[in-house]
Amino acid sequence: MKPIAIRSGSAASWAIRLVCAAILVYLAFWIPTSASNGVIDTCITALTLMAAAMALNLLLGYTGQISIGHSAFFGIGAYTTGILVSRYGWSPFQTFAVAFIVAFVVGALVSLPALRIKGVYLALVTLALALVFPQMMKWPKLVWLTGGARGLDNTGFKFTKQNPTYEIFGWNPWGSLRGENVKPFHYWIAMVIVVIVYLACRGVVKSRAGRSLVAIRDNETAAAVMGVNLASTKALAFGLSAALCSLPGCLSAIRTGNVTPDSTNLTVQGSITFLIVMVVGGAGSLWGPIIGSVLFVFITERTGDWSDPDAIPGVLRPFFSWSNTPPGTGIFSIILIVLMFVAPFGIVGMWRRFQARFVTVVPRPAGTGTIVEPVAAPAEA
Amino acid sequence: MKRVSSARLLAALVAGSFLVAACSSDGSSSTDTAADTTTADTSGSETTADGTDTTAVETTVAGSDAWAVNTDDCIDPAAAEAPIEGTIKIGSAMPLTGGVAAAAFAPVKGGFEAYIKYANDNKLLGDLTIEATIEDDQYNKDLTPGAISKQIDAGVNLFSGIIGSPNNAAVRDTLNEECIPQLNALTGSPAWGDVENYPWTTGILVPYNVESRVYAKQLAELYPDGAKVALFYVNNEFGQVYADAFKELAPDFNLEIVDEQTIEATDAAPPTAQITSIADKKPDVVMAVPLGAGCIGFLTELAAKKAQNTGWTPATFITNTCASSLILGAAGPAADGLYTSGNLKDVTAPSNAADPAVKEYLDFMNAEGLGEIAATAAAGWTTAEVTIAMIKQAMESPDGLSRASIINAARNFTYTPSLARDGVVDTMNGADDPFLAESLQVLQYAQPTATFTDIGSLITEFETK
Amino acid sequence: MELFLQRLFDGLSQGSVYALIALGLVIIYRGTGHLNFAQGEMALFCTYVVYQLGEWGLPIGVSLPIGMLVGFALGAATEVALIRPIAKKSAFAVFIVTIGLFQFLNWLDGAIWSDQPLPNSGVGSVQQSFPSLFPNEPTDFVNVFGAAIKIQSIGVFLLVIVLFGLLYLLFNFTKLGLSMNAVASNPESAKLVGIRTNMVLMTSWGLAAAIGALGGVVFAGINSNVNLSLMFGVFIYASAAATLGGFDSPGGAVLGGLIIGVIENLAAGYAPRWIGQEMKVGVALAVILIVLMVKPSGLFGTAKVERV
Repeated sequence: MKPIAIRSGSAASWAIRLVCAAILVYLAFWIPTSASNGVIDTCITALTLMAAAMALNLLLGYTGQISIGHSAFFGIGAYTTGILVSRYGWSPFQTFAVAFIVAFVVGALVSLPALRIKGVYLALVTLALALVFPQMMKWPKLVWLTGGARGLDNTGFKFTKQNPTYEIFGWNPWGSLRGENVKPFHYWIAMVIVVIVYLACRGVVKSRAGRSLVAIRDNETAAAVMGVNLASTKALAFGLSAALCSLPGCLSAIRTGNVTPDSTNLTVQGSITFLIVMVVGGAGSLWGPIIGSVLFVFITERTGDWSDPDAIPGVLRPFFSWSNTPPGTGIFSIILIVLMFVAPFGIVGMWRRFQARFVTVVPRPAGTGTIVEPVAAPAEA
Repeated sequence: MKRVSSARLLAALVAGSFLVAACSSDGSSSTDTAADTTTADTSGSETTADGTDTTAVETTVAGSDAWAVNTDDCIDPAAAEAPIEGTIKIGSAMPLTGGVAAAAFAPVKGGFEAYIKYANDNKLLGDLTIEATIEDDQYNKDLTPGAISKQIDAGVNLFSGIIGSPNNAAVRDTLNEECIPQLNALTGSPAWGDVENYPWTTGILVPYNVESRVYAKQLAELYPDGAKVALFYVNNEFGQVYADAFKELAPDFNLEIVDEQTIEATDAAPPTAQITSIADKKPDVVMAVPLGAGCIGFLTELAAKKAQNTGWTPATFITNTCASSLILGAAGPAADGLYTSGNLKDVTAPSNAADPAVKEYLDFMNAEGLGEIAATAAAGWTTAEVTIAMIKQAMESPDGLSRASIINAARNFTYTPSLARDGVVDTMNGADDPFLAESLQVLQYAQPTATFTDIGSLITEFETK
Repeated sequence: MELFLQRLFDGLSQGSVYALIALGLVIIYRGTGHLNFAQGEMALFCTYVVYQLGEWGLPIGVSLPIGMLVGFALGAATEVALIRPIAKKSAFAVFIVTIGLFQFLNWLDGAIWSDQPLPNSGVGSVQQSFPSLFPNEPTDFVNVFGAAIKIQSIGVFLLVIVLFGLLYLLFNFTKLGLSMNAVASNPESAKLVGIRTNMVLMTSWGLAAAIGALGGVVFAGINSNVNLSLMFGVFIYASAAATLGGFDSPGGAVLGGLIIGVIENLAAGYAPRWIGQEMKVGVALAVILIVLMVKPSGLFGTAKVERV
């Protein structure tokens, strides 16, 4: 069968985009207003992970620098919010900007050794960052600020039914949506963060800077020869990636109301989770981390009570009832390994290959704002 | 329904004013009581506005001057008061996977589920069926809210035995807004006694600072002229709370802290360097707060160092998280003579084999094929047992079984778990005594016989505080 | 002085454990240019196998060789089934596969051995604690200038030296070892001169995993127990050791392990307020960072093998 060719920018392409966008926007509003608490909470978890994985993708997917240290940037976000809210009484919303700046500076500094250190060694240097960060937060000399191993309490919004303290332009997001439940409010914070991170990544990727990043990934020397400033481009990518990764960290502090140095997302395990979520979804594609984290959270949540054999769906029971350990991690690891064989670019890569059999999108010629008639479109496909 | 609740509120108001009267001479607790009065006053004025039937009020006041929860702040007060019939669903979140921390807690789940089955088999709640679901949160506080909400959607009536301080803290706002009891949090952080802000949240472990105080007292008895103490603790929330409490108490008991060494919870290597530093200071006492497998590493390392430094024979105090013959058995002769504490019977000790409660426990666990985790599962078993006892008390209360009556029962609760040591009476009493277990027995371990010897009598003086 | 010596010895004994695990990492990196993130977890799996054999009544003298054989099979199978087909695609994919394996094996250990924090010494269990290869009673130590060294530490140290010696002989004097060197430096030419590259790669992975199994059993013996988090910390330190010494140099790995052990112990011991046990990992990693800035391929590493 010959695939259908759709011109980028044509009416058909816009229609498809509009329909997809409409479905997404509908979903985004449907979840907090109509779904159950469990679904909303699961979505917040997924959105948190999504933002972190997207931030990592900006660095790894587009510049090819492996980082197993992004849990530290997540942690910078959590601690910035935690410290400013619980010690200095800031409103949580104000802390996002501070976290962004702090993480950007730290990220840019980390990128300096990355100019000289490459490959496996760079991975290990970032791993070191992930290891040192929690220790730094536990450091006795910083206890006055970070609370040491106990961490910080009361780092979220404080409100009760009687006195909702926080309003956005007079709109009371938890009062007006459904009851007095705080979950939709957290959901909207998470959603806004994800949209910001997505737009930032998209902006960078589609810009001149993004093309420099890809050039560095594919051939560093050639990129340098063509006039890409390696140092500043890498520092910018690292810094931006770090800064974006701090935002879900802030959310984590707000949502759980406490910050501790030992919590999973602040340690190496967090970095590993961000990495595998991103890779399963599809490294180097904007939608990869989104798909990956939804799948990851779906599996984790569904298998969470499978220690009880009766909770396992009938078909799967013989495979998983032999152990009383929930199989989520095992299943996701197997998916990860198998995907590396069949689709190195993750689920998104697999989907693109699949849809290419039926539909091809013909790109607009570069440098033209207007639509040009596709002359050789089918031949290209 | 509304009327009953108002009546209870007035009861709370009266109880509150008694409290104020009783405590007004005691300056130290004035802040707490003042806050209590404010809350009670507000509810009181609401009650008056409702125009409550006075006779009903008087009956309730006469019937109980007990602490009662205020359901007016709930998202859905009616649901909190609604009767629970047919099946009661208990939810929990525990680390079942996730490596490091999960490993130490896995047997707790086995014990917890075993008791639920035991309760159903023996119809402990009559015709009421108990369903327990335990979600895996991987000890990751970011996953706990999702795990909890999923269970709330499934109609869980109460939560019990959620493991970990950050994990409990992550969901206590939700559960207190929704007015779902969050009973028997399996963490000893002093944060679980905040009756005013989190009335629906209670803990089951002896608060770490109480345990610290018990050891400090025992040390003062052993060393009336004061002693040099070295602290060794695991560098996480658990160890930090312990160590801070101990450091705060030390001057009162004439104890000088000469060294502090920490170990990371994730660090599997034995604490050689730490013990070298401690031995260099030659303290009279080593107070240790290790965790899980770290207990064994600490004890063997300390024994080696003692053998290397002839003449240095410090007394060793180790927290009761290590005080099972399972852990101490693996440490071998290194564990001989250490001091610890406990409030449960040692189920693996031969001397307890004839004890009917222990025998019944072991028989049931063996029949379930859980015999090999029996020693470490006792904590889970006891948690479930206390939970069921709270539900039973709520069933028998005049209000009948509802979420509100469960938390009221829990906060006015006196009970001796079957595996508890003789003389232990776990008590919670409203804002006066917000912690369940505060009785401890100081114990000394004898390695050749693998038994614990009681030192002094059961310390119950903290139970009422 | 005694205290200094004691801390030095403590550091050396910790460092030799790092070195033992690092040797496995180096063998794989030499052969294929990949960092095996699952090295520690492969070792842990084998350690659990040894523990299980002990539960069935086998003495450590029998169960250890079996465990190492299991390790060899596991490593070889991993190379053939997972790494080789992927290596053609990209080095990054290999790295991800080893991370997947890392997660999977840790989960599998937990699923099979039910998250037991300790060897069961409850009802119906055989072993009181994980068997040690060396005498490890509290009284098993020797005095050197007033500082004590445990027999066990000497044993581990000697084991590392012997192992290093064997590897040296292997790489320099045997056909297999020379082929490994050849494959490591130039796979294409090695193939052209008739070396069975596939065989060599498979053997390096098997060998590395078998050495890892040995390391895991030794380490579990030092700790008297095996648990799910046993190997992760050691793996990190072993990677640090390999990075410091150079990822393709067995001698560098051994030296790197010892240096890290000593540095972190001295730093934590002599600056308890500023560094202490909390920040010692930071010191070790700072040293590595400095070394890498000056010499990006580690102290004894060669720059050209870097491929990722």
